Amino acid sequence: MIKLTIDGKEINAKEEQTVLEAAIENNLYIPNLCYHPDIKPIGGCRLCIVEINGMRGFPISCHTKVTEGMIVKTDTKKLQKLRQNLIWLILSEYPKDIPFSSQLKKVVDYIGVENILFKYVSKTKNLPIFSDNPLFIRDLNRCILCGRCVRICQEVRGVGAIGLINRGIDTYVGTGYTNSLKENECKFCRACVEVCPSGALVDKEEWNEKNREEILIPCKSNCPAGTDIPRYVRLISEGRYQDSVEVIREKFPFPHTLGLVCHHPCEEGCSRTDVNEPISIRELKRFVAEKDNRRWKKKLKIAKPSGKKVAIVGGGPSGLTAAYFLKIKGHDVTVFEMLSKPGGMLKAGIPDYRLPPEVLEKEIKDITDIGVKIKTNTKIDSIDKLFNEGFHAVYLALGAQKGIKMGIEGEDDPRVLDGIETLKKINFGKKFNIEGDVAVVGGGNVAFDIARSSLRVGARSVKIIYRRTREEMPAYDQEIKDALEEGIEILFLTNPVRILPDKNKIKVECIKMELGAPDSSGRRRPIPIDGSEFIITLERLIIGIGQSSAVPKEFNIDLNKKGNVIVKKEIPETSRSGVFAGGDLVSGPASVIEAIQAGRTAASAIDKYLGGNGEIEQKLIPDEKETQFLGRDEGFADKKRAINKMMPVKKRLCGFPQIEYCFDEKTAIEEAKRCLRCQLRLKISKASLPPIKGK
Amino acid sequence: MKGRILVCMGTSGISSGAQEVVKCFKNEIKLHNLEKKFEVVMVGDRGLFRDVLVDIIEPGKNRIIYEYVKPVDVNKIVKRHFIEGNPIKELLAGKDYEQFFSNQMRIVLANCGEINPEDIKEYIKNGGYDAVKKALKMEPTNIINEIRSSGLRGRGGAGFPTGIKWELCKKAKGDMKYIICNADEGDPGAFMDRSILEGDPHSVIEGMIIGAYAIGASEGYVYCRAEYPLAVKRLNIALKQARKKKFLGQNIFGSNFSFDIFLKEGAGAFVCGEETALMASIEGKRGMPNPRPPYPAESGLWGKPTNINNVETFANIRHIISRGAKWFSSIGYKNSKGTKVFALAGKVRNTGLVEVPMGTTIREIIWGSGGGMENKRIPFKAVQLGGPSGGCLPDDLIDIPVDYESINRTGAIMGSGGMVVMDDRACMVDIARFFLNFTVTESCGKCVPCRIGLKRMLEVLDLITEGKGNYEHLDFLKEMGEIIIETSLCGLGNTAPNPVTTTIQYFRDEYEAHIEQKYCPSHVCTNLIEFEIDRDKCIRCGHCSMVCPVKAIVWEKKKYPKIDKNKCIKCKSCISSCPVMAIL
Repeated sequence: MIKLTIDGKEINAKEEQTVLEAAIENNLYIPNLCYHPDIKPIGGCRLCIVEINGMRGFPISCHTKVTEGMIVKTDTKKLQKLRQNLIWLILSEYPKDIPFSSQLKKVVDYIGVENILFKYVSKTKNLPIFSDNPLFIRDLNRCILCGRCVRICQEVRGVGAIGLINRGIDTYVGTGYTNSLKENECKFCRACVEVCPSGALVDKEEWNEKNREEILIPCKSNCPAGTDIPRYVRLISEGRYQDSVEVIREKFPFPHTLGLVCHHPCEEGCSRTDVNEPISIRELKRFVAEKDNRRWKKKLKIAKPSGKKVAIVGGGPSGLTAAYFLKIKGHDVTVFEMLSKPGGMLKAGIPDYRLPPEVLEKEIKDITDIGVKIKTNTKIDSIDKLFNEGFHAVYLALGAQKGIKMGIEGEDDPRVLDGIETLKKINFGKKFNIEGDVAVVGGGNVAFDIARSSLRVGARSVKIIYRRTREEMPAYDQEIKDALEEGIEILFLTNPVRILPDKNKIKVECIKMELGAPDSSGRRRPIPIDGSEFIITLERLIIGIGQSSAVPKEFNIDLNKKGNVIVKKEIPETSRSGVFAGGDLVSGPASVIEAIQAGRTAASAIDKYLGGNGEIEQKLIPDEKETQFLGRDEGFADKKRAINKMMPVKKRLCGFPQIEYCFDEKTAIEEAKRCLRCQLRLKISKASLPPIKGK
Repeated sequence: MKGRILVCMGTSGISSGAQEVVKCFKNEIKLHNLEKKFEVVMVGDRGLFRDVLVDIIEPGKNRIIYEYVKPVDVNKIVKRHFIEGNPIKELLAGKDYEQFFSNQMRIVLANCGEINPEDIKEYIKNGGYDAVKKALKMEPTNIINEIRSSGLRGRGGAGFPTGIKWELCKKAKGDMKYIICNADEGDPGAFMDRSILEGDPHSVIEGMIIGAYAIGASEGYVYCRAEYPLAVKRLNIALKQARKKKFLGQNIFGSNFSFDIFLKEGAGAFVCGEETALMASIEGKRGMPNPRPPYPAESGLWGKPTNINNVETFANIRHIISRGAKWFSSIGYKNSKGTKVFALAGKVRNTGLVEVPMGTTIREIIWGSGGGMENKRIPFKAVQLGGPSGGCLPDDLIDIPVDYESINRTGAIMGSGGMVVMDDRACMVDIARFFLNFTVTESCGKCVPCRIGLKRMLEVLDLITEGKGNYEHLDFLKEMGEIIIETSLCGLGNTAPNPVTTTIQYFRDEYEAHIEQKYCPSHVCTNLIEFEIDRDKCIRCGHCSMVCPVKAIVWEKKKYPKIDKNKCIKCKSCISSCPVMAIL
């Protein structure tokens, strides 16, 4: 320990510390701009000059080591004058408007400009503003050449994509010659943006202190369940597959299922999209989920029995997720499933070629293994009964499984089938022959599942009838692409208006549509074109335009107009105390991951309702300090997104084999290494800012 | 013994055609079968620019020196001088040559122009490498004590005592130590380092070996600018020869001491003469200075204790070791011992390298070796000392002795020894602007005061020279200059405002003339020149009319010239041609 005095205040400092570091640690502020705690000081801005007894001139505090008995003055009249003129010099090169939230602005306001020599206005620099880079803008006019960006890129990241070019007044931060950031092996980690004090480097997407993490780590914030994607992707890049899958398992018990069927909103958000293409996050999840050796089962701590019983109505993703977490919290959980097998829509609504039954069964077994009871073939008609049987709380997760009708003439013909019902029958392996020419009405994923399944159970040809264009289609791109590959024809801007029964076939009269003004969903409303009617002749017409929930009246809970259950704002509790609801039942048809998140929320709320703390998550992999080093990788920015190999179309249509192959190890690691590691910049230290005046 | 024909072949000799002269001598000697009597020796430059200088040294005869020798003269010299024994009078070096050299004390430059720098044997014959042999038998501490008591101070500019520098580095802990020779001579007009490397490279190597032994360094670097190709070439030859002789490498001179020197070429950035920037450059980084402490002696090249000295400093070492500290400290003045080489330039009769004992006055240098003003009609105005970051001194200050303290007191600096003499034709505002412009472009750009402050000062000087200045500008220049000096990171910024602050201090009236009367007394600042003939001064010689490129000046014999302002393009050719400063 070293004792020294700064501005009359005696403080303790560590050996080898600089005066500035010691001051910061003791909450004393010395103005600074080019200093940053994570990088070596260079003494460029000269603002941190101080007076030290026994030393000549004005040493810079960022580079002067503390010594025993040192007496430092940081704010004399002389220093104030020198600093003000230094600031004036910086501003003489800077555009008039300083970004309000920048460190520069705060320092300027703190130092003030009362004593500047001379109000001489110099010419503006008129340097280029580079806005065509991915993710951030480089405005050289706002660069004050503190060199923090260059140093963090070099010293901390080990990349060295940028450097100081030219000399003297013509110095600027650049990439050299005419190279782009990409050509200079920039990794777009944006550490440079993070440390820039002057607004010369700014993220294209604006953020504030509140939503910073959300905006900067879009993959994570886009995931309804908040999966720690940066963490598990990094673990894959390090070859730590089991650790990686356990990170996913901290959030939900369905990594493999989601690795196959999730609609990956994470990838839509992925920052790498701006550089070239997003990371194949879902495929990486599947890759590690396939390798899961269930080591986590030994780590998982199940709380002592709470003595409380919970009934979960509906064995879909939402119900099973809730069951899993409630069991971990020590409650006695029973899941009631109407059908013969649990899984809900995962089982009934997703064809086996997308989600093989063994995958789902294995993940449901994980849940029953920890003690969740599942009663299949059990339909619940009354909540009262459940309470009478001794359950303390009920979670309704019935989903939305009633097919919506079109309401057109001839819809009652037995050859006109309900979409979701049909899919359920196919998925449960019921003998079910669809022959001849088939058409499916609808543009969602369910419609495509029906169409593609129909092909696999014997249809000669399959058409999809959709009233808007491909642009508006809610089905995922990949789904549409696969369907077209498999030979399915899509009739866009077409709508059935009536069904005319014939002897062996049905005649479906369709009308062509055109798009009008946008409707409440934001999509352009289709308008029929008079006189464009035409007829197609089919063996079967399947209606796949959507589902709704069907809540038995006996439940005695409040529903909205659409027939969905109403829950409270803060917690997913229904109008009946102790009765919770979530998933499609509340939201209407939505995604698997949303249903899972609803299950998580419900589990937490129910645990609290039963006297627990509501903390359902368990750390399976402890947080670890990540290295800030990235290093150089040749051609990093142009590395292509890995795409999994697909089964040839011919082979696909014989039965329901899984059609997408999993990544091999090399591909998975390479893909994980493409990650921009957006989360790393959050670990960069904060610069030392002036105290807010008046405090 | 053969007679020696010395041909000065440094960069300036070669550029004046010395190679051709050498070729002619060789041919003529062969032709006249004089090979047994004469040999041609290529030597370095002697520091006086006289095109090709040729010395004839015959045993038992007086040395004959010819200047401005052209290839056509060689035949004459060989026939009339060598064969007939009659030196050619019209080619003999004259009074100026005599005056230039007789007023000097040549220690560091003693070998320059005397020995063949590409032949180690000639250096050894002149006592070369004796000092290092002596030093290797001494205790390192004794060597350092010897250097300390000699009073030698760094010749690179700051004048830090060399012995103390060595001692600090010797005391510093480190498994590896380096010694560096700073040969990044960046001051425009200064060429003493180049001349030493071109004319006597072994003296620098010898100094470095002694230094390395004293401080315990095992590796040395010479950081030489790439714009000195001949110096680089000769140094490489010298290093090779020294290695072959085992003067460098493992167990040099049969001792336990191992040491080698590597040459690193710099890209010519002025700031790389600053020692921390120089080391960054050797390490392959951008040549930018780093804050001190830590000083190189503690943490220098690659974080190891490092000693850096200038070429001229190293060239002094062998003499101190050979002849003793007492001898050395008997030369010089007060706290500045030994000699100093100055690069005398500007409006003096003789320009070149002048080595004089410390304490000689500036006036003695200018009117001694320099031979006085170039144009007797135009009086002395100022002398600029210390290169672009030095200062300008007026007539009443040039009687000060040249030593570090005296010069620093005036606001100028010794620097590496640049000495530019200016007469009344030099505008001091323009001179300040010229030097500032140099430092603005040569600043590394790292610290705010140097990068931006100098530029702002330059812009204000521009305004003044354009006639748009006011008194507030003067205050700004003074104060901003002080701020830059006080807050800059390295020596470049700490001294860069000197030309401005000293000219304001000593030539304030010229600034005021620019500001108040919008008049440039020296007729340099184009915007402030009327381009009219001052009939009181004009001697009607007509030079102006002859040089005017657009024929805007009409002149008839014995009449006053007239300038047609519509034709005039303000190129100022007339002004520089006028012998009496009669153009306003």
